[in-house]
Amino acid sequence: MGKKRIVIEPGKEGGAYWRDLWNHRELLYYLTLRDILIRYKQTLLGIAWSAFRPLLTIMVFTVVFGKIAHLPNNGVPYAVMVCCAILPWQFFSNALSDASNSLVNNSEILSKVYFPRMIFPISATSISLVDFVISFGILCLLMLFYAFVPAWTILILPLFLAVAFITALGAGFFIASLNVRFRDFKFIIPFLLQLGLFISPIGFSSSVVPEKWKLIYYLNPMAGVIDGFRWAILGGETKLFMPGMCMSVGISFLVLFLGISFFRKVEREFVDII
Amino acid sequence: MSAIITVENLGKKYRLRHQKSETYATLRDTIVNGAKNIFSSDKKNKSTIEEFWALKDVSFEIKQGERVGIIGSNGAGKSTLLKILSRVVHPTTGRITMEGKMASLLEVGTGFHPELTGRENIYLNGVILGMTRKEIQKKFDEIVAFSEIDKFLDTPVKRYSSGMFVRLAFSVAVHMEPDILIVDEVLAVGDAQFQKKSTAKMESISKDEGRTILFVSHNMPAMEKLCTTSIYLENGTVKRIGNTSELINEYLTVTNAQ
Repeated sequence: MGKKRIVIEPGKEGGAYWRDLWNHRELLYYLTLRDILIRYKQTLLGIAWSAFRPLLTIMVFTVVFGKIAHLPNNGVPYAVMVCCAILPWQFFSNALSDASNSLVNNSEILSKVYFPRMIFPISATSISLVDFVISFGILCLLMLFYAFVPAWTILILPLFLAVAFITALGAGFFIASLNVRFRDFKFIIPFLLQLGLFISPIGFSSSVVPEKWKLIYYLNPMAGVIDGFRWAILGGETKLFMPGMCMSVGISFLVLFLGISFFRKVEREFVDII
Repeated sequence: MSAIITVENLGKKYRLRHQKSETYATLRDTIVNGAKNIFSSDKKNKSTIEEFWALKDVSFEIKQGERVGIIGSNGAGKSTLLKILSRVVHPTTGRITMEGKMASLLEVGTGFHPELTGRENIYLNGVILGMTRKEIQKKFDEIVAFSEIDKFLDTPVKRYSSGMFVRLAFSVAVHMEPDILIVDEVLAVGDAQFQKKSTAKMESISKDEGRTILFVSHNMPAMEKLCTTSIYLENGTVKRIGNTSELINEYLTVTNAQ
C-alpha cells in the first residue's frame, strides 16, 4: 500500500508535525473566519467595534498625556504619535489574550478531533491581524485630518508588524499551554497587559528613557516594535535606537522559539488535563 | 489482505487524585487547609494519587474493509480506545500502525457553531474533520440532500431543531472519504427513519467502497447488522475477539447475570 502510514507510540509524534500543520492551513482559515463572523453577531455596531476601541484609547491618551501632562511630541500631532503606538500595542494585546485563551475556549474540539494544536493560537493571533488592518484606517484618517504626510519608510511597517506578530504568537503558545493546567493565567494576563500599556512607550516617546536604562528598556520587545512604527510612519526627527531595536527583535525570536518548544513538549497532555 | 490497523500492547494510564476529606468542613478549616497546602511542600499527606489503567495490553489487528464493533459496559475503555486511535489521546504504552487516511467521529457536530448558518457549518465542520475545501464543495449537494435540511441551509444552526442539527452533522461526517472511519455512539440520533438511513450509508461505504469502520454503540441491533467482527472489552482489556452476534449474546448474558 503506497498510502500514508501513521505510527502512534508513546512519546512520539505520528507523522511529520510541520507538514501536518501545513496541510491544515484550510482549517486555520476557517477557524479564523468563524471567529471573525461570530464575534460581532448580535451587536449593533458590528465590525465597527474594531475601529472604535483604538479610537477611544487614542482620545483618552491624547487628552491625558498631550493636553494635561504636556508630554513632548517632537513636533508631530500628538494624536498621530499616540496612534502609531496604540495600533501595534492593541494588536499585540488582543492577540496575546486571545491566543492565551484559545486552547481552553476550544476544549470541545480539542478533545474530539486531532490536528496540530498550534492551529488554535495561530488562528487567534491572525484574527487580531484583521483588526489591525481595520484600525489602521483610523491612522490614515488621522493623518488626513492633520494633513500629515508619512515618511516613505512606512513601507517597512510590515516588518515591525511581523515582529509584534512573532512576539504575540510566541508568548501565546507559552501561556496557552500553561492556561490548560493553570487557569490562573486568565487573570494574570489582563493585568500584565494593563501594566504593559503604561510601561511601553505609548503615551510618551522612548527618547525620555534615561540613557543608562535604555538597553534594559528594550528587553520589552514591544518597545522596539512601537519605536519602529513611530520611526517608519513619522520619519523626520525620530531616530531609531539600533542596539535597542536589535535587542527587541532578538527577544521576540527567543520568545517564539521558547514558546514553540514548550508547546510541543506539553501538547500531548492537553486532552488529559484540560 | 494485510492489516490496515495493528494495535500492540496498547495501554493508557490515568492518575486519579483522591482528596482526603474531613467528616465535615467549615469555611475556616477550608481556608486554613488551603493555606497549609500552599506552604507545605509534602502534599502527599493531603491527597493520594492512584494509578488507573483505562486500557491495558490491548492488541488486535483489523483488515481492510472490515467493520469492527467494540462492545463493553460503561468504563470498559471503548471511548479511550477510539480516542487513542483518533490521535486525540496519547497512549502510555504500546504501538499502533495505521495505513491510510483516518477520520474519526467521536461526537456528532464537533465544532458546529450555533451562530453560523447550516452552509457555513458544513464547511467549518468539514475542515475540522479533515476534509479539504474542494472535497466539501464537491460533496456539498450530497451532504445537503442526505441531511434533508435544504430549506434551512441559510438559517443559523441555533434555530434548528435538535433532529435537524444531528442530521446535518452526521451527513457531513459520513461524506468524508477516509480509508478508516472511527465512529463513537453517534447513531443514537435522529428518528428511526434517519437511523436506518445512516446505518445503511455506513454499510454501503464499507461494502461498496472498501472502507474500514470501527464502531462503538450501545444499540445492539444496529451493531449486529453493521459489524462483521467485534472486540469485547472488559475493564480495559480485551476479553474476546470474534463474531459479533456471539459476542453480543455473551455480553448480554454477562450483563443480565449481574
